[in-house]
Amino acid sequence: MLFNSSEFLLVFMPATLLGFYLLGASSRTWALRWLILASLVFYAWWRPVNVLIIAPSIVINFALARILLRLNEGEGTRRASKAVLLLGIAFNVTFLGYFKYIDFISSSINAVFGANLVLRHIILPLGISFITFQKIAFLIDVQAGRVKSFTLQDYCIFVLFFPQLIAGPIVHYREMLPQFHAASCRFDKENVAVGFTLLFFGLFKKVVFADHIAPLITPIYEHAAAGGGTSFLLAWMAAIGFTLQIYFDFSGYSDMALGLARFFGIRLPQNFDSPLRASSIIDFWLRWHMTLTRFLTGYIYNPLLLWLTRRRLAKGQPGFGGRNTTVGAFVNLLMFPTVITMFVSGLWHGAGYGFIFWGLLHGFYLTINHGWRLVAARLWPDRSSYVRFMKPAGFILTFVSVTSAMVLFRSPTMTSAIDLAKGMIGLNGIALPQAFFDHPGHLARTLHGVGVIAESWSIEDFAKTAIWISVLMFVALACPNTLQILARYEPALGVKSQSTKFPIVEWDATLPWAIAVSVIAAMAIASIGGPSEFLYWQF
Amino acid sequence: MTVQEILTVFTRILRDLLLNDSIVLTMETRREDIPNWDSFNYINFIVAVEIEFGVKFKVADIESFENVGAIVTEMTKALA
Repeated sequence: MLFNSSEFLLVFMPATLLGFYLLGASSRTWALRWLILASLVFYAWWRPVNVLIIAPSIVINFALARILLRLNEGEGTRRASKAVLLLGIAFNVTFLGYFKYIDFISSSINAVFGANLVLRHIILPLGISFITFQKIAFLIDVQAGRVKSFTLQDYCIFVLFFPQLIAGPIVHYREMLPQFHAASCRFDKENVAVGFTLLFFGLFKKVVFADHIAPLITPIYEHAAAGGGTSFLLAWMAAIGFTLQIYFDFSGYSDMALGLARFFGIRLPQNFDSPLRASSIIDFWLRWHMTLTRFLTGYIYNPLLLWLTRRRLAKGQPGFGGRNTTVGAFVNLLMFPTVITMFVSGLWHGAGYGFIFWGLLHGFYLTINHGWRLVAARLWPDRSSYVRFMKPAGFILTFVSVTSAMVLFRSPTMTSAIDLAKGMIGLNGIALPQAFFDHPGHLARTLHGVGVIAESWSIEDFAKTAIWISVLMFVALACPNTLQILARYEPALGVKSQSTKFPIVEWDATLPWAIAVSVIAAMAIASIGGPSEFLYWQF
Repeated sequence: MTVQEILTVFTRILRDLLLNDSIVLTMETRREDIPNWDSFNYINFIVAVEIEFGVKFKVADIESFENVGAIVTEMTKALA
């Protein structure tokens, strides 16, 4: 069931909330059980068999976690608990691997070795990548002693909570369960008002912003896939347009998830912090899909780096140390774990070369960024003049790097991605719609003079795309974001008002805001068209 | 070793790592207060501290240190 569908907004959500508040008035336990049931219905809606796939995995994970908990209580069981943890991780990775990667692996083997492995065309259970990551994190947390006790009900609400079930934000058990245990489970007008505001801001971002730019850039990607020769401006429109689409789509979804959770008195962690304003790639990853970055850093990158660093120093080799950093230390301790982590990130997004190259590319971006920091500190010791220059220069460089990498994420084939990349560096020439050349005169002569040629793209589509891109760029780069607007009411875990950065636009329970949110809601609901899936629901 | 002495050593380690001599660590300092103290430099800092003081932190602890004070507290426990 899509968050942006009428059956969700008009039937499922009101019914779930009504039941939750009614039961919550007498028993928190029953309110939470109702929420688990509703989440199962939500999950089963698209394909009921999904529940049969996910249920055994929940039971097995729960059993393994209980074993880990018991082993933690005993003495001298460290090795056994490590073995159980490894078994659990292997189970989850195999589970995900079967559904998500088996066809990709088979077709790659077929392509390389000319084998004839049969492709199974498995339908991916919804949100399996997100759910699997969260389950692995839970097992690691239990083994590390970060989770001390839990019941089956605790585990189910943690895994199945429908606002973040399909596409995150990826949460930690230790930040969620205390909230469920303390939730009043009753109607609370502040929670409901903040929840609706988040929900409708998110819906607006999805159905008005993302869904309007999407059909304008799709033809450019189709054109690139069909034969190519995408010219400079169109290629950049495709890259920037898709970056804006995925940003508004996924951050819109995340806002909706925060709003839905808030109805139940639950705060989810922040997933986006105006990432397109980032002034470096490192900064970008601290602001884009923040809960995934947090997961990858905490469970892959940090342990790997810690292990590599300790091992290297134990061997007596130089570590990573400011001015004295050697090339060996840089490659082994920085480049290697960074590229590996981003490779996993790419692969996690999807079984395809485009995603893998996208991840690797970001791994190299991050490596260059870290390397530059080392060099820059030597070349440019005056920090304030460095920051003055690097803020705008870094912003442009980051924006160009992020948008061009997004082409890999969106392109249906590697051939079309290569064609668009060629277009972006000008190898396919610069072209404008024919209309610019229809009236012979100064403009047409000048354009011809600088080598601009005419192409069959309609001037209306061209203008529409340019206008949408400008509007969305303005919103993404210059306007306060949803969480800044709602900062006074802690809209996400740990997001608090920072001395009113945007006092005029800070949301409050006032009549003008009620009218404004109603207008946004009406526009969003009126824009709900045919089925339009969130981009991240495929993962 | 007093808390202040530990903080002085921590400050020296981090200054060397980030090439920034204006850093001064206190018990309340958080990672986001120091420019460029990202997860990569955090792990490097932790391992440098481990070597300097001859201690070894648990991975789970490293993840959960909220501020510099938490690292100092855990370390004094390990040294005791």
